[in-house]
Amino acid sequence: MNYMPGTASLIEDIDKKHLVLLRDGRTLIGFLRSIDQFANLVLHQTVERIHVGKKYGDIPRGIFVVRGENVVLLGEIDLEKESDTPLQQVSIEEILEEQRVEQQTKLENEKIKVQALKDRGLSIPRADTLDEY
Amino acid sequence: MLGKLRGRKNGIFTKSHNEDITLIGKSLEDCPLDEDEDAFQGLGEEDEEIDQFNDDTFGSGAVDDDWQEAHERLAELEEKLPAAVNEQTGNGERDEMDLLGDHEENLAESLSKMVIENELEDPAIMRAVQTRPVLQPQPGGLNSSIWDGSEVLRRIRGPLLAQEMPTVSVLEYALPQRPPQGPEDDRDLSERALPRRSTSPIIGSPPVRAVPIGTPPKQMAVPSYNQQILCPKPVHVRPPMPPRYPAPYGERMSPNQLCNVPNSSLLGHPFPPSVPPVLSPLQRAQLLGGAQLQPGRMSPSQFARVPGFVGSPLAAMNPKLLQGRVGQMLPPAPSFRAFFSAPPPATPPPPQQHPPGPGPLVQNLRSQAPMFRADTTHLHPQHRRLLHQRQQQNRNQHRNLNGAGDRGSHRNSHQDHLRKDPYANLMLQREKDWVSKIQMMQLQSTDPYLDDFYYQNYFEKLEKLSAAEEIQGDGPKKERTKLITPQVAKLEHAYKPVQFEGSLGKLTVSSVNNPRKMIDAVVTSRSEDDETREKQVRDKRRKTLVIIEKTYSLLLDVEDYERRYLLSLEEDRPALMDERKHKICSMYDNLRGKLPGQERPSDDHFVQIMCIRKGKRMVARILPFLSTEQAADILMTTARNLPFLIKKDAQDEVLPCLLSPFSHLLYHLPSVTVTSLLQQLMNLPQSAAAPAPSNPHLTTVLQNKFGLSLLLLVLSRGEDLQSSDPAAESMENNQWMQVMFMATRELLRIPQAALAKPVSIPTNLVSLFSRYVDRQKLNLLETKLQLVQGIR
Repeated sequence: MNYMPGTASLIEDIDKKHLVLLRDGRTLIGFLRSIDQFANLVLHQTVERIHVGKKYGDIPRGIFVVRGENVVLLGEIDLEKESDTPLQQVSIEEILEEQRVEQQTKLENEKIKVQALKDRGLSIPRADTLDEY
Repeated sequence: MLGKLRGRKNGIFTKSHNEDITLIGKSLEDCPLDEDEDAFQGLGEEDEEIDQFNDDTFGSGAVDDDWQEAHERLAELEEKLPAAVNEQTGNGERDEMDLLGDHEENLAESLSKMVIENELEDPAIMRAVQTRPVLQPQPGGLNSSIWDGSEVLRRIRGPLLAQEMPTVSVLEYALPQRPPQGPEDDRDLSERALPRRSTSPIIGSPPVRAVPIGTPPKQMAVPSYNQQILCPKPVHVRPPMPPRYPAPYGERMSPNQLCNVPNSSLLGHPFPPSVPPVLSPLQRAQLLGGAQLQPGRMSPSQFARVPGFVGSPLAAMNPKLLQGRVGQMLPPAPSFRAFFSAPPPATPPPPQQHPPGPGPLVQNLRSQAPMFRADTTHLHPQHRRLLHQRQQQNRNQHRNLNGAGDRGSHRNSHQDHLRKDPYANLMLQREKDWVSKIQMMQLQSTDPYLDDFYYQNYFEKLEKLSAAEEIQGDGPKKERTKLITPQVAKLEHAYKPVQFEGSLGKLTVSSVNNPRKMIDAVVTSRSEDDETREKQVRDKRRKTLVIIEKTYSLLLDVEDYERRYLLSLEEDRPALMDERKHKICSMYDNLRGKLPGQERPSDDHFVQIMCIRKGKRMVARILPFLSTEQAADILMTTARNLPFLIKKDAQDEVLPCLLSPFSHLLYHLPSVTVTSLLQQLMNLPQSAAAPAPSNPHLTTVLQNKFGLSLLLLVLSRGEDLQSSDPAAESMENNQWMQVMFMATRELLRIPQAALAKPVSIPTNLVSLFSRYVDRQKLNLLETKLQLVQGIR
């Protein structure tokens, strides 16, 4: 049965493996089990995938219920092509460590930038604080 | 009874409808179930009322009811039950059943031991129940609200919300009065076993009267069942009993659906399989037990909760149990029997009906290599076993595809995956239809072209494309399924403010249909003296912007007329055409600055519009609709003021968009117009004899992409005109030639500064210039204007 052809209704995506990108930057991969009219999602056998560079690590999370407004995008994963990736899977500890390092370097760069701007008498409000409003 | 139970617990009594719900909620806090928001709110609301009629506290319940007694009875039941079970199972090692015991672990064990295969049918047990003396009250342990008053238990009628059969049966045993069980054991028991319950599975939460719109439908196994379950009085609910399993879809039952059946054949589950058809009515009644006033509106989550809830008090004490429960799945009717006909051979010996009983069966199943995904390794062992089970069952079951669309080559692999996916169809077909229905409702529109413009256009394009392909290829027609959105008739609602009869005046209520004026903004026009120069300029610009907006609306309407024309009836068409013409005229007036009855002395208005980027684009779109004279007028004005416009366009660079409509227009222009146009464009002096001053106008034009392209177009057109009619020695031709001479002179004069790169170079320019200049100059011109392809 062809549910609403030409639309983005998620009905036909049910029971398929999806990659969901959330507003807070997380990437979840899981089987889409249930939806509702707000595009709230129920993900099953969810795995949170952290990407750093060419490496990634999976954290098994179980069942996720995601509120629709927090989803940036989602897409079906082709199970056959899933393993066909140049990325390298590493252990959770390793990827978390890599992530931490990445965050740190980013923060440091940010600090340098802000300092440079301050020296020139400029100040740019940080993007994450803007997001709250 | 909700109120009762709550009352007992919180000390707050609410006047609730006397629903009789035998709920086994241990305590509100302990219920691990998800709760309705509404339930919570209702909770808050009802707490404020005091139920003066609460039996348990004020009424007979306080006096006559002796829950302790019932409790004791129950405790004794536990003792006896093992014995009864022992008869059947021959299991000697029966501890004292500690159903109400303190420890969760014991409970699990005891429950598992307690339940036997056909306990409900077992007359021995039933008889034993009746003769049971009062149970020993258990110290501490369960909140005795579960065993609240024999009244409650007596009122156990109707659909049972028990997911756990044994739990229910325990309740049954606690009943002080029990009519003798005849051959209709199953039926009666199932009915009685199912307490009428509110829609909310949580103890103490008020029943939800009206389901909020957001709740998905509850699945109704028996659509014909109409009886209100939430009636205040105890009612014998007799669900109709078709002998078959309520699986109308013929597809694999979802775990949700199946876990309602308290029966489980799965390993690790303390409740052995092969409870007979009694479960069908039981389950059905169960389903109905959750039914609300608006059947079909209950959320499946509630539904799932409902069975879960009943199991909750015990489950709360034994999460493992519940987990096992939730993981259940039962095959649909056809294979149901088949499935269970299989085990009987495996489990005929009573001893094997114990939890270890299903063992041989499960082991058989288990031996078939189950595949676990890596991320399921964190599952509870019971859960994993159930997964195994399900996988096996799936292989045996009738397979049906999910509502998957046509995915082409992936379909087969997808089918495979669906087969192997034990969690598929968690979302029922009904729920999918429900969501899809909501989505369709959202698409309702009186004017889809207005509301959903891009979607409509996109699909029109697609259709045209596919139609074109079909004509060409003549291949198989691809059935492109098109979404048909519901069309809703436009309803005009005249808002009438609320009025009460006989009252003076009207209510001043502000709503979305009747917004109240919050701010009284008065427009005051300023006098000319006050304004400064800047303000004037700004005002002028604003006025221009407003004019642009208005004209744009007209333009959009005019562009839409074609579609409307096609959709309209015959009678309406002339009217439409008139409207269209009228609008086109207004557009033109707007562009040129309408001064009715006056000449158009100044280009100022038009130029102002053309200074704004949107204005330029708009003019480009309007041009096709204008008559030739009107369009020529526009073109002339543009040419006249071109340097100024070029200067203003420096940032936007939008002028080239006008090239296309202009070039179209040029093809319709007569020679005279073209000549004068050229004159304007190059700012050529009126007479050839006049000395040629420096021509910054021309320079600017040549240095601008648009200007140069336009110039070339005009030249080309002139050449076309001339070459097409060589014999005619008309005034126009002469004029043209004169102008051409001047033009070539100018062009030669112009230093080869940074010439712009024109959009396209017409091919006939060489021949054009060859008429008017000699070879040497021709070469010069060619080089300068880069007319010859090779030079580039």
